[in-house]
Amino acid sequence: MNQEAQAAWNQANQLANAAYHQARRRVTIDPITRLEGHGKIDIWLNPEGDVERAYLQIPELRGFEVFSIGRPAEDMPQITSRICGVCPTAHHMAATKALDDLYQVEPTPTAKKIRELVYDTFVMEDHALHVYILGGPDFIVGPEAPAELRNVVGVIQKVGVDVGKKVISMRRRLRELITYFGGKVIHPVLGLPGGVSKGLDPARLPEFKQLAQDNLDFALFTLQVFKDIVLKNPDYVKLITSDDYTHRTYYMGLVDANNRLNFYDGLVRVVDPLGKEYAKFPIQKYRDYVAEHVEPWSYVKFCYLKPIGWSGFEEGPKSSVYAVAPLARLNACDGMATPQAQKAYDEFYQTLGGKPVHHTLANHWARVIEMIYAAERIVELINDPQITAKDIRTIPTRKPSVGIGVVEAPRGTLIHHFETDDNGIIKMANLIVATQNNAARIAMSVDRAAKGLIKKGMVSGGLLNKIEMAFRAYDPCFGCATHSLPGHLPLTVHIYDHRRDLVQELVQE
Amino acid sequence: MFTEATAPGVDRPRPMAPCSEGPEPSKPVLVLGLGNGILCDDSIGLRVVRAVRRRLAPTAPVECLETEEMGLALLDFLVGRRDVVLVDAVQTGQIPVGQVQVIEGSELPALSQGSPHFLGVGETLALGNALGFPMPQRVRIVAVEVQDPFQLSLQMSPAVEAAFPGVVDRVLAVVRDLAGA
Repeated sequence: MNQEAQAAWNQANQLANAAYHQARRRVTIDPITRLEGHGKIDIWLNPEGDVERAYLQIPELRGFEVFSIGRPAEDMPQITSRICGVCPTAHHMAATKALDDLYQVEPTPTAKKIRELVYDTFVMEDHALHVYILGGPDFIVGPEAPAELRNVVGVIQKVGVDVGKKVISMRRRLRELITYFGGKVIHPVLGLPGGVSKGLDPARLPEFKQLAQDNLDFALFTLQVFKDIVLKNPDYVKLITSDDYTHRTYYMGLVDANNRLNFYDGLVRVVDPLGKEYAKFPIQKYRDYVAEHVEPWSYVKFCYLKPIGWSGFEEGPKSSVYAVAPLARLNACDGMATPQAQKAYDEFYQTLGGKPVHHTLANHWARVIEMIYAAERIVELINDPQITAKDIRTIPTRKPSVGIGVVEAPRGTLIHHFETDDNGIIKMANLIVATQNNAARIAMSVDRAAKGLIKKGMVSGGLLNKIEMAFRAYDPCFGCATHSLPGHLPLTVHIYDHRRDLVQELVQE
Repeated sequence: MFTEATAPGVDRPRPMAPCSEGPEPSKPVLVLGLGNGILCDDSIGLRVVRAVRRRLAPTAPVECLETEEMGLALLDFLVGRRDVVLVDAVQTGQIPVGQVQVIEGSELPALSQGSPHFLGVGETLALGNALGFPMPQRVRIVAVEVQDPFQLSLQMSPAVEAAFPGVVDRVLAVVRDLAGA
């Protein structure tokens, strides 16, 4: 080969290699090809080494629509209840209500009461578990406690073995009520379009009434534990009200005709960062109000308020970011429909300086208040004379086409949307799980934590812990596929410099 | 009505009941498959345990169960057993898809500092012990590295499917080791 050709070849070779490496680098940082299954936090530094952006990616359920197309819509309450091993009842109920809408059939009053009874029992059980076992390590044990104690054993040590056993036993009894009506937890047969499959035998009333009363005592006891251990600890109160996880966003939750929080049914209400009602609509209109934004660097879809339009991960009235879950629900309603819960709600807002409360960590307290409402509502429903009535179903007669159902899952507003042909076979299906509504706000918390702890390329200790605490406060969905082995979503933090080179990796053990 | 039979290649899950319910004393060794039957590779724990059940003699002191539940449900299964083998999908990104790690329960980060979601095995064991329940002496976790536990699908990925017989053999070896001891 002559010299010129050689030089040309070399140059071309170099360019080709450089292009390949460039492409490879883009591929390796392309989130779509990255390993899922972990809470992935990506932090991008600017040339000065400060944080430009930080994002948390939570693994997302994929393929729901493809999976659903061609299936009978009537199967969806059973199928979707299997999506999540933690919240099967939430999916089951949202799908059941979507079927009511699909067939334009109104459930009987008794059916509605039975559904709400079972549903609130599920919320109660899930909340109790969360308060003692998930939130407990953070606040029952205390933020300043040594690491070895900030876990479930530390909680037991703090509240006592008897209380621990009470949580376990209360949970078993609550589940007995759920399985009485629905059979298996993961494959429930409770909800049907227009009603429920099983009524309440009056012979079981005394036992369930006793359960309801014991459960209410337990909920009130939990509030007392919270007040004694948490609110009397000034360190914790400081932590709740600190700026770290405080974001002034909009809030969404279901409310009844009197703007009182309801887990099972109602209109969707959204309040602005000052607490004023921004919108109130039936779930059938959700697409007028809720849209999904996809950031180019992530496959995660961020929900936002459509009429306001996406303007980034910002807070305040001009930004369309909103939140769901216990704190949001309390902010979005005008009060609680039951007396003890209302008392606890008043105390909550008085202590934290009025409505709305923007401190994410206050979710733990809000959850306890919701437990009390759920418990009181269960007592109301089990003592309702109609609860043992036999008219548990209205048979659908209309042709199906579009059905949208909503419930307040423990972790936030959950929406099921099906469209079918005349025979009820699914043509289109969409799911907005609770955490999707919170995704933008979660990203903001992570961003703030990162910006506070990474300066000039130096990462302060405790970054992972701070991010994890935000994570726990939001309690995202999608532990589903990580379930029991590590038990938690292993968090991996990748820090990239401005040239998009990976400069540091931190892994949560 | 939806049934497993509508999906080819997927067995009907066997009825699953925690050991504390039921008239007979529970067998000392429990093999428990964890997973989600409609989330692609996340079903491997369930499928493996079904296959293991078919291979074990009915007289073996081993009970094979599956569960799709999370949270405190695990506690119900563990209480009162002498030995437990858990089979579950993991995604560490550190080993090839289909490969298996066998982890001792005692080695687990029993008390991770607050789990963002629900109790892991380590925490469940610690909780049971703290409450004074009779917890298993030995827990072995067979963790299968999977490719895709997030896609709604009744089929597993080809790579995981290919590794399936080897995983079953591995679990059987662990079970026989515990049951024989």
